[in-house]
Amino acid sequence: MQDVAIIGVGLHPFGRFGTKSAIEMGAEAIRAALADAGLSWREIQFAFGGSFEVDNPDAVVAMLGCTGIPFMDVYNGCATAATALELTADSIRMGKYDIGVAVGMDKHLPGAFTSDPVHYCAPSWYGQNGQFITTKFFGMKINRYMHDHGISSKTLARVAAKNYRNGALNPKAFRRKPVSEDEILGAKMLNYPLTHYMFCAPDEGAAAAVLCRADIAHRYASKPIFLKATALRTRQYGAYEVHSSWAAVQNTASPTTYASRAAYEAAGIGPEDVDVVQLQDTDAGAEVIHMAENGFCADGEQEKLIAEGTTEISGKLPINTDGGLIANGEPVGASGLRQVHELVLQLRGQAGERQVPGKPGVGYAQLYGAPGTAGVSILSI
Amino acid sequence: MERRLLPRRGTIWSWTTQGFLPKEPYAGDETPETFKPFGMGLIQLGDEIRVEARLTESDPTKLRIGGDVELVIIPLRTEASGRQVVTFAFTPI
Repeated sequence: MQDVAIIGVGLHPFGRFGTKSAIEMGAEAIRAALADAGLSWREIQFAFGGSFEVDNPDAVVAMLGCTGIPFMDVYNGCATAATALELTADSIRMGKYDIGVAVGMDKHLPGAFTSDPVHYCAPSWYGQNGQFITTKFFGMKINRYMHDHGISSKTLARVAAKNYRNGALNPKAFRRKPVSEDEILGAKMLNYPLTHYMFCAPDEGAAAAVLCRADIAHRYASKPIFLKATALRTRQYGAYEVHSSWAAVQNTASPTTYASRAAYEAAGIGPEDVDVVQLQDTDAGAEVIHMAENGFCADGEQEKLIAEGTTEISGKLPINTDGGLIANGEPVGASGLRQVHELVLQLRGQAGERQVPGKPGVGYAQLYGAPGTAGVSILSI
Repeated sequence: MERRLLPRRGTIWSWTTQGFLPKEPYAGDETPETFKPFGMGLIQLGDEIRVEARLTESDPTKLRIGGDVELVIIPLRTEASGRQVVTFAFTPI
């Protein structure tokens, strides 16, 4: 199997952009990734595009050039971009193509996501009853986790404040203003114990990466970043996940745990080797839980680690250095490729004001979302 | 598949509050002006199953993990004809 390298990344800023379409943002992200790799669109052999709102991300070829390449569209909830990345990588691993693009783009209306629960294998009454709400799941999950593992609301506020602070250092972030822990704790309670400022918001944006066979990567990049592993998992019986109307009494681990283990095994890398991390912070509690689910600490250790600043850019385990979802918002199709964009900049030493010191060599990204789907990617220099 | 009668009483495995008016397909008839937060819980019924349901209580100081609850029927909306639509919820006991 061929190894895979990332030779270019591009990001359209995340935020609100008036009437500008998601497709236009996707085209800009791809152009930026191509420029980063020193390639033209003509040299791209295939692409995978991810989106929730755009039926046909492949329509972006109208703006880039109708070269006739295979361009496959994917949607996989919050793990959409990790899916586009994995499929692009797999196509190269299998030896079918040498160079391809993974892109994600989205443009959501403000406010929590909604849909017909039937599409999520949940009954119609579940929506009519006011239960088909993703944010409520996160409130329920972290409330139990805090009870079991001694995590305080102060820790949730610290996580959100860190991500806003990191976002303030990122010119492409949606929220670029630090928010104090007191303001975060005092904001409107959306789903106890999670306040308004502890949640990310759906927004707009796009991100892209150019991938190629690792053995030809040096033709295009002086410092290629290697995609050591990708893993996707869905939930197992017993897991209580987003949009579950019921759960088994016997708990099982979340899909993130299984995706994480599979990715570490495939990469031959362990959590102790990771230098910079991107986790799905749909809310501040999710970042706390995901630290443990991805093997970076034991359950409950987060309280001390976060208070000591371990997850700050200057800490031993920097998490969401670009502000994560809390500061960038979540254009679902693009979110995971934003994470990859940030990791690539960090591993190349190009992250500017938010650069992790000490030349990080291994980066880790995780996505999680409805109806219980997770994606993990591990990158290294 | 077989029908099975579950206990009417259970314990709160976890809970949260719903602090904003849910979007469609929510069938409650509140408006942003009249909406009052409601509680949500994952309720363990014996050793059989956990079910997600609304709670009649939304005051965080009155809800606790492990607390006992009982099934009740509550109004969800009143239709133009005057007919009342009800739903199920759990109430702390």
